[in-house]
Amino acid sequence: MTSSANLFDHGIRGVGIRNHQLVLPSVICSSHIASRIAKEVDAISFLHQHGCGIIGEDVEVINRLFTSMALHPNISSVLVVGLGCETIQSRELVDRFQLEDESARFLVIQESGGVNSTVEIGVQAAIQLKTSTPIKSANSSNLTIGLDLARDYDSQNLRTHLERAGFRVVAAESGINSSDNLIELMHNRVHLAISFTGPSQPPTGFPLFPVINISSENPLHTAIQDEFDLNQSDLSDSSDFAQLQNLIDEVVAGKETISESKKIGEIRAPRMVRSV
Amino acid sequence: MNQKILRAFPRASGKWGIRNHILILPLHSALSSAARQITESFTECVSVSHDWSGEADSDLDRIKSTLSGFASNPNLFATIYLTIGTSLEEEIIHHASNLGQNNFVEVSLARAGSFDQLLTEAFDACRAVLAKREQQVRVEAPFASILLGLECGGSDALSGITANPALGIASDRIVELGGSSVLGETTEILGAEHLLAARALDTKVGEKIISLVARYESSINYEGIDIRGAQPSRGNIEGGLSTLEEKSLGATKKAGKAPFTGTLEFGERLVKPGLYFMDTPGHDIEQLTGFAAGHLNIVVFTTGRGTPTGSPIMPTIKVSTNTQAFDSLRDLIDLDAGTIADGLRTLGDVGNDIFNEILDVVNGKLTKAEINGHGEFSLSRMYGTKISRLD
Repeated sequence: MTSSANLFDHGIRGVGIRNHQLVLPSVICSSHIASRIAKEVDAISFLHQHGCGIIGEDVEVINRLFTSMALHPNISSVLVVGLGCETIQSRELVDRFQLEDESARFLVIQESGGVNSTVEIGVQAAIQLKTSTPIKSANSSNLTIGLDLARDYDSQNLRTHLERAGFRVVAAESGINSSDNLIELMHNRVHLAISFTGPSQPPTGFPLFPVINISSENPLHTAIQDEFDLNQSDLSDSSDFAQLQNLIDEVVAGKETISESKKIGEIRAPRMVRSV
Repeated sequence: MNQKILRAFPRASGKWGIRNHILILPLHSALSSAARQITESFTECVSVSHDWSGEADSDLDRIKSTLSGFASNPNLFATIYLTIGTSLEEEIIHHASNLGQNNFVEVSLARAGSFDQLLTEAFDACRAVLAKREQQVRVEAPFASILLGLECGGSDALSGITANPALGIASDRIVELGGSSVLGETTEILGAEHLLAARALDTKVGEKIISLVARYESSINYEGIDIRGAQPSRGNIEGGLSTLEEKSLGATKKAGKAPFTGTLEFGERLVKPGLYFMDTPGHDIEQLTGFAAGHLNIVVFTTGRGTPTGSPIMPTIKVSTNTQAFDSLRDLIDLDAGTIADGLRTLGDVGNDIFNEILDVVNGKLTKAEINGHGEFSLSRMYGTKISRLD
């Protein structure tokens, strides 16, 4: 349904509304170096505390998380940065992606000569990845919008409106909070999310996709009203969905949401077992 | 033997800082990016990022005490808290004050009204605190000022032969001279706990060491997982270690031969000098964070495979177990103990090197991790993230 000059053909990953290169640290120990590489090449990265000291089903949970991120439709290519001795091994992680194109590579700090040379090698690898995955525009696509329902919100009308507008809609409401819900939505390959975060929670974000934050009438949200893209009262009657629809169109076309522009959004992976 | 004179920063609590850091501490994950932005503008300050967004779940007490202990570490001149404006955050700040951190500023998002205003207020706070910090200088400090953490990561077959026993020699000297030393990583004493218990100052401490290890093992076994099947890690096996017991026998060598004065819970602070065992996970960064929350002020980290990591507030000295790792990763390892295996130096020589390096770093020498700007931080969770929903 959506047609726009700003859709990206990301091959097996699908069509994206962002053209992010992801520098993915496979373990907390490589996250600082991954961020340094990402900064040099204008890619995205994120800090996390996973990848080692995990056992049981958490190993699969984290592997699955990183795999979903690497294969997300808003991602053009991925450089995995590992330390070398961790549980989640970079080489195996890249194998899991099962990509037959040239859009994923990995490097390992312990095999790359230290901090500064890893950054140098990583920057070169990221540049080569960009070269081998040139920007390809897509004409149209069926886009998926995720609803983060961390607070009580009767989303039926909104859902109906979005579906009529041609979007696939998935909702997440089972998590402890928005962090959990956004991870679930990422697994569902949403192109963007609309967040109804908890009444005592600030606006949310996720590194891979834009999040439109809708404020409630609660004191914290009222106090920081300008940090939200829209107020829930803006969605109170169906005619006003037009305002949201306009914003969605702009965001799909490339406009950054407020939390996206402020790079808000730490990853909190679901964990089943204590760390060891 | 004449020892070097130590110079450090005295704190009102009676403890000593070997660094005079200003920490930007977000008390909500959504403020982590703001904290990073502040330290990009004020490179003299340090910050951490984390993924806790105020969930009042089963790990709440552990997370609160980790954050308040960390915020009051003696290596901090001041802490600038970034808050949303909740009562939980106030509790953490209050607890940190009780632990000695009375030099702090709280910048609240709710009061500021926007992220931009929060940044403006935090920048002002940084300027004011930096100006005050300039007035404080190092003064002569006793050996009791040294609160040393013992850590190993990416262990290999040489860990228990070279770097760990050499660190043990340095640790014994620190303790003998009135300082304190803390062994952690419960995962990595499994199977060797009886040897540590036999070195306890009294039977109560010995029994406590045994019970902490048993508690740890059962906390994992309840999940139906045998830790002995997950350890040693793949990296350890590739490095030549065969069993968890072999890894543990090597890991405990970091604690030298001194008697154990006591045990500590995760992030607990010791009261009188001596050698201690702290119940921490083997996860390198969670352990570093637990040590910092326990008010240790310096760490020596032995490594077979090499790692760039370091605490943002405790200087972390890296010692390689083998010369190959040292030679190939020179910008992230401070000292090489591989020379022992090569027959070039004795355990005593390298123990002495580590001891002297500790004193130099106490006096201000930067570690490789500090030079590279590393400052990893991780909250330790005893339960999964989905155990309970209380908020």
